[in-house]
Amino acid sequence: MSSLTSSAPKLKRDETASLLIRLRRLTRSYAFRIIAQGLITIWAVTTFTFFLIRLMPGNPVDTYIDALMQQRNLTLEEAQRAAAGIFEFDPDEPLVQQYVNFLSKLVRLDLGKSITKGGTPVLDIILRYLPWTLFCVGVALIISFALGVLIGLAMGYWRGGLLDNVMTGFASIISGIPDYILALLILIIFGVQLQWFRVGEVRGGVDPTIEVGFTLEYIGSVLRYAFLPVLIYVLASIGTWILAMKSSTISTLGEDYITVAQARGLSERRVLTSYVGRNAMLPLVTRLAISVGFVVSGSVIIEEMFQYPGLGRNLFVAIAQRDYTTMQGMFLVITSAVVFANILADLALGWLDPRVRLDKKVD
Amino acid sequence: MFGLTTIASPQGFFIGALCGLVPLGAGLYYRQWRAGVGGFLACLLSGFACGFLGGLPTILMSYAVVLSYAYVNRQDPFTSRAALEEVNFEETRVEQLQRQLANLGRGIRTSWRALTRNRAGFLGFLGIMFFVVVTVFGPLFIEYEGAARLDRRQPGARSLIAPPSYEHPLGLDWKGRDVLSHMVHGGQRLILTSIQAGLIATVIAVVLGSLAALLGGVVDSLISNAANFILTIPSFPLLLVLASLVNLDSDFLLALLFGVLNWPTLMRAVRAQVFSLRERDYVEAAVALDLGVWHIISREVFPNMISYIAVNLIFTIRVAMYSIVGLVFLGLVPLSEPDWGVMIFTGRQQGVLFQPQAAGMLLAPIVAIALFQLSLVLFTRSLEEVFNPRLRSGL
Repeated sequence: MSSLTSSAPKLKRDETASLLIRLRRLTRSYAFRIIAQGLITIWAVTTFTFFLIRLMPGNPVDTYIDALMQQRNLTLEEAQRAAAGIFEFDPDEPLVQQYVNFLSKLVRLDLGKSITKGGTPVLDIILRYLPWTLFCVGVALIISFALGVLIGLAMGYWRGGLLDNVMTGFASIISGIPDYILALLILIIFGVQLQWFRVGEVRGGVDPTIEVGFTLEYIGSVLRYAFLPVLIYVLASIGTWILAMKSSTISTLGEDYITVAQARGLSERRVLTSYVGRNAMLPLVTRLAISVGFVVSGSVIIEEMFQYPGLGRNLFVAIAQRDYTTMQGMFLVITSAVVFANILADLALGWLDPRVRLDKKVD
Repeated sequence: MFGLTTIASPQGFFIGALCGLVPLGAGLYYRQWRAGVGGFLACLLSGFACGFLGGLPTILMSYAVVLSYAYVNRQDPFTSRAALEEVNFEETRVEQLQRQLANLGRGIRTSWRALTRNRAGFLGFLGIMFFVVVTVFGPLFIEYEGAARLDRRQPGARSLIAPPSYEHPLGLDWKGRDVLSHMVHGGQRLILTSIQAGLIATVIAVVLGSLAALLGGVVDSLISNAANFILTIPSFPLLLVLASLVNLDSDFLLALLFGVLNWPTLMRAVRAQVFSLRERDYVEAAVALDLGVWHIISREVFPNMISYIAVNLIFTIRVAMYSIVGLVFLGLVPLSEPDWGVMIFTGRQQGVLFQPQAAGMLLAPIVAIALFQLSLVLFTRSLEEVFNPRLRSGL
């Protein structure tokens, strides 16, 4: 009995101690440090864009006030009041105060209101266009990664063969041409000259006459409109995947464990998939994770060219219309995506390759 | 750009011919006919293209090449075949200069051979040279048509656009102007701005990378964090935003903006290289021999990085061209004709994209940009061979 009661406070002390140890272990862990670093980067980018927009020579707030005065014949004070209402800040406030207000709103996921779109919350705009970009660029990324890895693996494994020679040329040529040049070439050659498809009909995300819903017709229309942009993204990015996978495969083939696997008499297919393929893919997985981050920014030019209702095109529209709050919000989302993808890549690398994790832990 | 924005002129031809007399004379003197004539032609072309700016450096280079065929190093008992007692190790100023020039010439010859050895790379080199020759010499023969030519309207035609014909090999654009003249005059600015942008990014990267690696400590972590920060932001959207905030009316400003945003990748590579080079035995040996900082940098460190830096420079130029044409395409920079990017922009704006007979007007700049970018990519393969010290020593 007595020993039990006396052990109670001791246990408590142990608990706090172990909590501290656990906390320290957490702060020292690889994952924690990477996530903390990512959050700091996001904060830095947000701060950077905040001050950039307010301190630049062509200060958007002043520009907006000027525009209001000219377009609607307002006095300076009226224009200032109108601008303050939309930008949601008091121009007389010190910059630091504005910054604190901005950050506190940001924490509550309030990105402000659009200047040009009649005060629609920026978050709503982003959430409306984000799925289109995610769908279109995401599908393209998956296709080009899968195809690129398969082709690159085959090329590296049967090096010097017909496939290798043909595809190396193809990959170097295709990866050397900018995506929008490729898009224009396809539009002009296959659309205008050969008339394989109607050029005027491939603009937008979906046929506007079809009712929105989970109908076969609607989904088919979405796929049809996404086909060309996806094709162009795939063509523009597949070359790099092919070449990267090929060189990775070749260097993997030189490893001893491949020779051992072959010496053990494993089937060629087994060696190719489980030994060569899996190991050669390792460096590409991190690259894939990083590319996932750039999915969100999409391709501004391609989306603008096809009038695709994605984030990239709307970023361009916001820039062209000088809609600074939307610009700021979209930029935050784009950067956050890259940061989270980088975190993902680092964690994936740490998980796949224990050496990275252990190396960092040793102080 | 630094007076390099030049178009071939008749005066340049005489300047080139005048400059070419030096290697030609040297060729006659040393009885190296082929090298002399080659040097004369090289001087003629570069002088023709850039006047004195191109002619004078070429004099030096071609003279060095001619000399390298004829030069015999008297101090070297193996090449001079003289008995050791006869060798005079006291070298006059002129002899020293000759020796250095001959070394330079030999270097140029090896580089040229390395350049032509890789077939794909040489093809890329020829592609780049094609565009350089067209944009530099083309204006001599083809006059620029800036004003609209309403008189060229075909009877009954709804627009001035015309498909390729004998007089206008690439057709007429939406204002009835000759597309070929726009192609010839419109490439120079784009190419030069891209090169400028690439150079600025490379210089920033090399300087900051070396500083970070050599100084270490606070400077290193500051530069590295800045690089990571810039790498996180997608650079093309950021360039778009900045282009809307800054009035990019000068090409140099555009190049500078690009350079400031695109140094981190190369900086990290340079930093890693310098870090590892510092530990290498031959560098430590050079330090121990007290050969001086300049010698160590130029002889031991630089040759090991130059290949990587040169290849990266080409890639940066490519990305710069991509970004600049992209900005023009979206209409976010002030447009000024003639320019390949502006041709695409106006073509799209005028709805020419959908007219089958207007293919010439749009396809010409598109194909030109695609081919130029392709040539740059192919050229990097040769560059690797030219600058790789291991491959070179094997020659």
